[in-house]
Amino acid sequence: MSYKVAIVADDETVAGFALAGVSETYVHVKKEETLAKLDELFASDEVGVVFITYRVAEALEPEFKRKMRAKRLLPVVLRVPDKSGWVPRVDELQEIIRRTVGAEITVKGGS
Amino acid sequence: MRLKQRVALAQKGHDLLREKMDALVIEFFEIVRRIRDARVKAMQQLAAAYRTLSFSFALEGTVETHQAAREVKKEMTVDISTRHVMGILVPVLDVKPIERHALARGYGLYTTSSALDEASRAFEKVLEVLLKLAELEEGARAIAMELEKTKRRVNALEYVILPTLKATVKFITMRLDEMERENFTRLKRIKAMLEARE
Repeated sequence: MSYKVAIVADDETVAGFALAGVSETYVHVKKEETLAKLDELFASDEVGVVFITYRVAEALEPEFKRKMRAKRLLPVVLRVPDKSGWVPRVDELQEIIRRTVGAEITVKGGS
Repeated sequence: MRLKQRVALAQKGHDLLREKMDALVIEFFEIVRRIRDARVKAMQQLAAAYRTLSFSFALEGTVETHQAAREVKKEMTVDISTRHVMGILVPVLDVKPIERHALARGYGLYTTSSALDEASRAFEKVLEVLLKLAELEEGARAIAMELEKTKRRVNALEYVILPTLKATVKFITMRLDEMERENFTRLKRIKAMLEARE
Protein backbone atom coordinates (compact mmCIF):
# COMPACT_ATOMS: atom_id res chain seq x y z
CA MET A 1 0.00 0.00 0.00
CA SER A 2 1.08 3.54 -0.73
CA TYR A 3 1.69 5.92 2.18
CA LYS A 4 2.61 9.55 2.72
CA VAL A 5 5.69 10.73 4.56
CA ALA A 6 5.68 13.25 7.41
CA ILE A 7 8.30 15.51 9.03
CA VAL A 8 8.00 17.13 12.47
CA ALA A 9 10.90 19.46 13.20
CA ASP A 10 12.21 23.01 13.31
CA ASP A 11 11.41 25.18 10.31
CA GLU A 12 14.79 24.76 8.59
CA THR A 13 14.72 20.99 8.76
CA VAL A 14 11.13 21.00 7.58
CA ALA A 15 12.15 23.15 4.61
CA GLY A 16 14.83 20.63 3.63
CA PHE A 17 12.48 17.67 3.79
CA ALA A 18 9.77 19.61 1.98
CA LEU A 19 12.16 20.34 -0.88
CA ALA A 20 12.56 16.58 -1.27
CA GLY A 21 8.80 16.24 -1.65
CA VAL A 22 7.61 15.26 1.83
CA SER A 23 3.93 16.13 1.91
CA GLU A 24 3.03 16.19 5.60
CA THR A 25 5.05 18.92 7.27
CA TYR A 26 4.75 20.33 10.79
CA VAL A 27 6.95 22.92 12.46
CA HIS A 28 7.23 22.40 16.22
CA VAL A 29 6.35 25.40 18.34
CA LYS A 30 4.44 24.36 21.46
CA LYS A 31 4.65 20.98 23.18
CA GLU A 32 0.89 20.43 23.55
CA GLU A 33 0.18 21.25 19.93
CA THR A 34 2.99 19.11 18.57
CA LEU A 35 1.85 16.18 20.73
CA ALA A 36 -1.64 16.61 19.30
CA LYS A 37 -0.17 16.59 15.80
CA LEU A 38 1.66 13.37 16.62
CA ASP A 39 -1.58 11.77 17.79
CA GLU A 40 -3.11 12.79 14.48
CA LEU A 41 -0.21 11.35 12.48
CA PHE A 42 -0.08 8.11 14.48
CA ALA A 43 -3.81 7.56 14.02
CA SER A 44 -3.81 8.37 10.32
CA ASP A 45 -4.18 5.52 7.86
CA GLU A 46 -2.50 7.56 5.13
CA VAL A 47 0.78 8.39 6.81
CA GLY A 48 3.28 5.55 6.71
CA VAL A 49 6.48 7.25 7.87
CA VAL A 50 7.08 10.01 10.41
CA PHE A 51 10.47 11.69 10.65
CA ILE A 52 11.07 13.72 13.80
CA THR A 53 14.25 15.37 15.01
CA TYR A 54 15.94 14.17 18.19
CA ARG A 55 15.62 17.67 19.58
CA VAL A 56 11.88 17.92 19.11
CA ALA A 57 11.34 14.35 20.33
CA GLU A 58 13.31 15.21 23.47
CA ALA A 59 11.17 18.32 24.00
CA LEU A 60 8.11 16.08 23.92
CA GLU A 61 9.27 13.72 26.66
CA PRO A 62 8.01 11.82 28.58
CA GLU A 63 4.88 11.69 26.44
CA PHE A 64 6.84 10.84 23.31
CA LYS A 65 8.26 7.64 24.77
CA ARG A 66 4.76 6.61 25.90
CA LYS A 67 3.28 7.24 22.49
CA MET A 68 6.03 5.25 20.83
CA ARG A 69 5.29 2.24 23.03
CA ALA A 70 1.57 2.50 22.42
CA LYS A 71 1.54 3.05 18.69
CA ARG A 72 0.63 0.49 16.06
CA LEU A 73 3.16 -0.90 13.58
CA LEU A 74 2.46 1.99 11.22
CA PRO A 75 3.44 4.74 10.87
CA VAL A 76 7.11 3.90 11.02
CA VAL A 77 8.87 6.50 13.15
CA LEU A 78 12.49 7.56 12.80
CA ARG A 79 14.32 10.17 14.84
CA VAL A 80 16.92 12.13 12.93
CA PRO A 81 19.38 14.80 13.97
CA ASP A 82 18.72 18.38 12.93
CA LYS A 83 21.47 20.57 11.52
CA SER A 84 23.05 20.96 14.96
CA GLY A 85 23.61 17.22 15.04
CA TRP A 86 22.29 16.98 18.60
CA VAL A 87 21.52 13.47 19.82
CA PRO A 88 20.47 12.36 23.30
CA ARG A 89 23.17 10.96 25.52
CA VAL A 90 21.45 7.61 25.86
CA ASP A 91 20.97 5.82 22.57
CA GLU A 92 17.53 4.21 22.25
CA LEU A 93 18.86 1.09 20.56
CA GLN A 94 21.56 0.64 23.19
CA GLU A 95 18.89 0.89 25.88
CA ILE A 96 16.78 -1.75 24.17
CA ILE A 97 19.78 -4.07 23.92
CA ARG A 98 20.62 -3.61 27.57
CA ARG A 99 17.02 -4.22 28.65
CA THR A 100 16.27 -7.27 26.58
CA VAL A 101 19.60 -9.04 26.37
CA GLY A 102 21.31 -7.64 29.43
CA ALA A 103 24.56 -7.00 27.63
CA GLU A 104 26.49 -3.77 27.33
CA ILE A 105 27.13 -3.20 23.66
CA THR A 106 27.85 0.21 22.27
CA VAL A 107 25.91 1.38 19.28
CA LYS A 108 27.28 4.36 17.45
CA GLY A 109 24.37 6.58 16.73
CA GLY A 110 24.49 10.27 16.10
CA SER A 111 26.40 12.29 13.57
CA MET B 1 -0.40 -39.12 36.71
CA ARG B 2 -1.97 -35.96 35.48
CA LEU B 3 0.50 -33.85 37.38
CA LYS B 4 3.45 -35.51 35.72
CA GLN B 5 1.84 -34.79 32.38
CA ARG B 6 1.57 -31.12 33.31
CA VAL B 7 5.24 -31.02 34.24
CA ALA B 8 6.21 -32.59 30.92
CA LEU B 9 4.02 -30.13 29.05
CA ALA B 10 5.37 -27.10 30.91
CA GLN B 11 8.90 -28.32 30.32
CA LYS B 12 8.22 -28.73 26.61
CA GLY B 13 6.66 -25.27 26.43
CA HIS B 14 9.62 -23.81 28.23
CA ASP B 15 12.09 -25.43 25.83
CA LEU B 16 10.17 -24.22 22.80
CA LEU B 17 10.02 -20.69 24.12
CA ARG B 18 13.71 -20.82 24.87
CA GLU B 19 14.36 -21.78 21.27
CA LYS B 20 12.15 -18.93 20.08
CA MET B 21 13.98 -16.49 22.33
CA ASP B 22 17.39 -17.59 21.05
CA ALA B 23 16.22 -17.26 17.44
CA LEU B 24 14.84 -13.78 18.17
CA VAL B 25 18.14 -12.72 19.72
CA ILE B 26 20.03 -13.83 16.63
CA GLU B 27 17.56 -12.00 14.40
CA PHE B 28 17.83 -8.93 16.61
CA PHE B 29 21.60 -8.71 16.53
CA GLU B 30 21.61 -9.19 12.79
CA ILE B 31 19.34 -6.20 12.36
CA VAL B 32 21.33 -4.12 14.83
CA ARG B 33 24.46 -4.79 12.82
CA ARG B 34 22.72 -3.49 9.70
CA ILE B 35 21.41 -0.49 11.59
CA ARG B 36 24.90 0.50 12.75
CA ASP B 37 26.15 0.60 9.18
CA ALA B 38 23.06 2.32 7.82
CA ARG B 39 23.19 4.98 10.55
CA VAL B 40 26.77 5.99 9.80
CA LYS B 41 25.94 6.48 6.13
CA ALA B 42 22.67 8.27 6.88
CA MET B 43 24.19 10.70 9.36
CA GLN B 44 26.99 11.67 6.99
CA GLN B 45 24.59 12.27 4.11
CA LEU B 46 22.16 14.17 6.28
CA ALA B 47 24.89 16.46 7.60
CA ALA B 48 25.91 17.17 4.02
CA ALA B 49 22.31 17.88 3.08
CA TYR B 50 21.98 20.39 5.93
CA ARG B 51 25.09 22.12 4.64
CA THR B 52 23.66 22.47 1.13
CA LEU B 53 20.50 23.86 2.70
CA SER B 54 22.56 26.47 4.54
CA PHE B 55 24.17 27.41 1.25
CA SER B 56 20.74 27.83 -0.29
CA PHE B 57 19.68 30.09 2.57
CA ALA B 58 22.85 32.12 2.12
CA LEU B 59 23.04 32.30 -1.66
CA GLU B 60 19.40 32.18 -2.67
CA GLY B 61 17.99 33.78 0.43
CA THR B 62 16.13 32.49 3.47
CA VAL B 63 12.75 33.77 2.34
CA GLU B 64 13.22 32.45 -1.16
CA THR B 65 14.31 29.01 0.04
CA HIS B 66 11.34 28.73 2.37
CA GLN B 67 9.08 29.88 -0.43
CA ALA B 68 10.45 27.21 -2.73
CA ALA B 69 9.90 24.68 0.04
CA ARG B 70 6.27 25.77 0.20
CA GLU B 71 5.70 25.72 -3.54
CA VAL B 72 7.51 22.53 -4.46
CA LYS B 73 5.42 19.54 -5.48
CA LYS B 74 5.02 17.25 -2.49
CA GLU B 75 3.99 13.92 -3.81
CA MET B 76 6.38 11.58 -2.04
CA THR B 77 4.87 8.21 -1.28
CA VAL B 78 6.31 4.99 0.04
CA ASP B 79 4.98 1.52 -0.54
CA ILE B 80 4.85 -0.32 2.76
CA SER B 81 4.10 -3.99 3.28
CA THR B 82 4.68 -6.32 6.20
CA ARG B 83 6.48 -9.60 6.65
CA HIS B 84 6.54 -12.21 9.38
CA VAL B 85 9.58 -12.79 11.52
CA MET B 86 9.15 -15.40 14.24
CA GLY B 87 5.49 -14.65 14.55
CA ILE B 88 5.69 -10.87 14.58
CA LEU B 89 4.95 -8.32 11.90
CA VAL B 90 7.80 -6.22 10.62
CA PRO B 91 7.42 -3.39 8.07
CA VAL B 92 9.01 -3.51 4.63
CA LEU B 93 9.52 -0.22 2.83
CA ASP B 94 9.81 -0.13 -0.92
CA VAL B 95 12.17 2.76 -1.46
CA LYS B 96 12.15 4.02 -5.00
CA PRO B 97 14.80 6.51 -6.10
CA ILE B 98 13.42 9.97 -5.45
CA GLU B 99 15.53 12.19 -7.63
CA ARG B 100 13.50 14.69 -9.56
CA HIS B 101 14.39 17.09 -12.28
CA ALA B 102 14.46 20.74 -11.32
CA LEU B 103 11.52 21.52 -13.56
CA ALA B 104 9.55 18.58 -12.20
CA ARG B 105 9.94 19.94 -8.69
CA GLY B 106 7.81 22.86 -9.63
CA TYR B 107 9.10 25.70 -7.54
CA GLY B 108 8.36 28.77 -9.54
CA LEU B 109 11.47 30.86 -9.32
CA TYR B 110 12.45 33.46 -11.83
CA THR B 111 15.99 32.23 -11.78
CA THR B 112 17.13 28.67 -11.36
CA SER B 113 19.47 28.71 -8.47
CA SER B 114 21.92 25.87 -8.38
CA ALA B 115 22.15 26.20 -4.59
CA LEU B 116 18.45 25.44 -4.29
CA ASP B 117 18.71 22.55 -6.73
CA GLU B 118 21.68 21.18 -4.83
CA ALA B 119 19.75 21.32 -1.59
CA SER B 120 16.69 19.66 -3.10
CA ARG B 121 18.75 16.94 -4.67
CA ALA B 122 20.72 16.36 -1.45
CA PHE B 123 17.54 15.90 0.55
CA GLU B 124 15.94 13.70 -2.08
CA LYS B 125 18.94 11.41 -1.92
CA VAL B 126 19.17 11.31 1.84
CA LEU B 127 15.46 10.54 2.09
CA GLU B 128 16.11 7.21 0.36
CA VAL B 129 18.71 6.31 2.96
CA LEU B 130 16.54 7.53 5.84
CA LEU B 131 13.55 5.50 4.71
CA LYS B 132 15.68 2.36 4.65
CA LEU B 133 16.99 3.17 8.12
CA ALA B 134 13.43 3.75 9.34
CA GLU B 135 12.46 0.28 8.15
CA LEU B 136 15.40 -1.28 10.00
CA GLU B 137 14.88 0.61 13.26
CA GLU B 138 11.16 -0.09 13.39
CA GLY B 139 11.88 -3.76 12.71
CA ALA B 140 14.42 -3.83 15.53
CA ARG B 141 11.89 -2.25 17.88
CA ALA B 142 9.23 -4.85 16.99
CA ILE B 143 11.68 -7.72 17.56
CA ALA B 144 12.82 -6.23 20.84
CA MET B 145 9.26 -6.03 22.16
CA GLU B 146 8.58 -9.64 21.21
CA LEU B 147 11.87 -10.63 22.80
CA GLU B 148 10.86 -8.95 26.04
CA LYS B 149 7.50 -10.72 26.03
CA THR B 150 9.05 -14.11 25.31
CA LYS B 151 11.72 -13.61 27.95
CA ARG B 152 9.07 -12.91 30.58
CA ARG B 153 7.19 -16.08 29.71
CA VAL B 154 10.38 -18.14 29.79
CA ASN B 155 11.24 -16.70 33.19
CA ALA B 156 7.73 -17.32 34.48
CA LEU B 157 7.98 -20.96 33.50
CA GLU B 158 11.52 -21.35 34.72
CA TYR B 159 11.21 -19.64 38.07
CA VAL B 160 7.62 -20.12 39.07
CA ILE B 161 5.54 -22.71 37.32
CA LEU B 162 8.03 -25.51 36.79
CA PRO B 163 9.50 -25.41 40.30
CA THR B 164 6.00 -25.35 41.76
CA LEU B 165 4.88 -28.27 39.66
CA LYS B 166 8.02 -30.22 40.39
CA ALA B 167 7.72 -29.55 44.11
CA THR B 168 4.12 -30.75 44.04
CA VAL B 169 5.10 -33.91 42.20
CA LYS B 170 7.86 -34.52 44.71
CA PHE B 171 5.50 -33.94 47.63
CA ILE B 172 2.86 -36.30 46.28
CA THR B 173 5.46 -38.97 45.50
CA MET B 174 6.78 -38.71 49.05
CA ARG B 175 3.32 -39.03 50.52
CA LEU B 176 2.53 -42.03 48.37
CA ASP B 177 5.76 -43.69 49.45
CA GLU B 178 4.91 -42.93 53.05
CA MET B 179 1.43 -44.34 52.70
CA GLU B 180 2.83 -47.43 51.06
CA ARG B 181 5.28 -47.88 53.91
CA GLU B 182 2.52 -47.46 56.48
CA ASN B 183 0.44 -50.01 54.62
CA PHE B 184 3.34 -52.41 54.43
CA THR B 185 4.04 -52.10 58.17
CA ARG B 186 0.34 -52.56 58.95
CA LEU B 187 0.15 -55.68 56.82
CA LYS B 188 3.25 -57.08 58.52
CA ARG B 189 1.68 -56.48 61.95
CA ILE B 190 -1.58 -58.09 60.92
CA LYS B 191 0.32 -61.05 59.48
CA ALA B 192 2.31 -61.35 62.70
CA MET B 193 -0.90 -61.25 64.74
CA LEU B 194 -2.51 -63.94 62.59
CA GLU B 195 0.55 -66.13 62.83
CA ALA B 196 0.71 -65.61 66.60
CA ARG B 197 -2.86 -66.88 66.92
CA GLU B 198 -2.09 -70.12 65.27
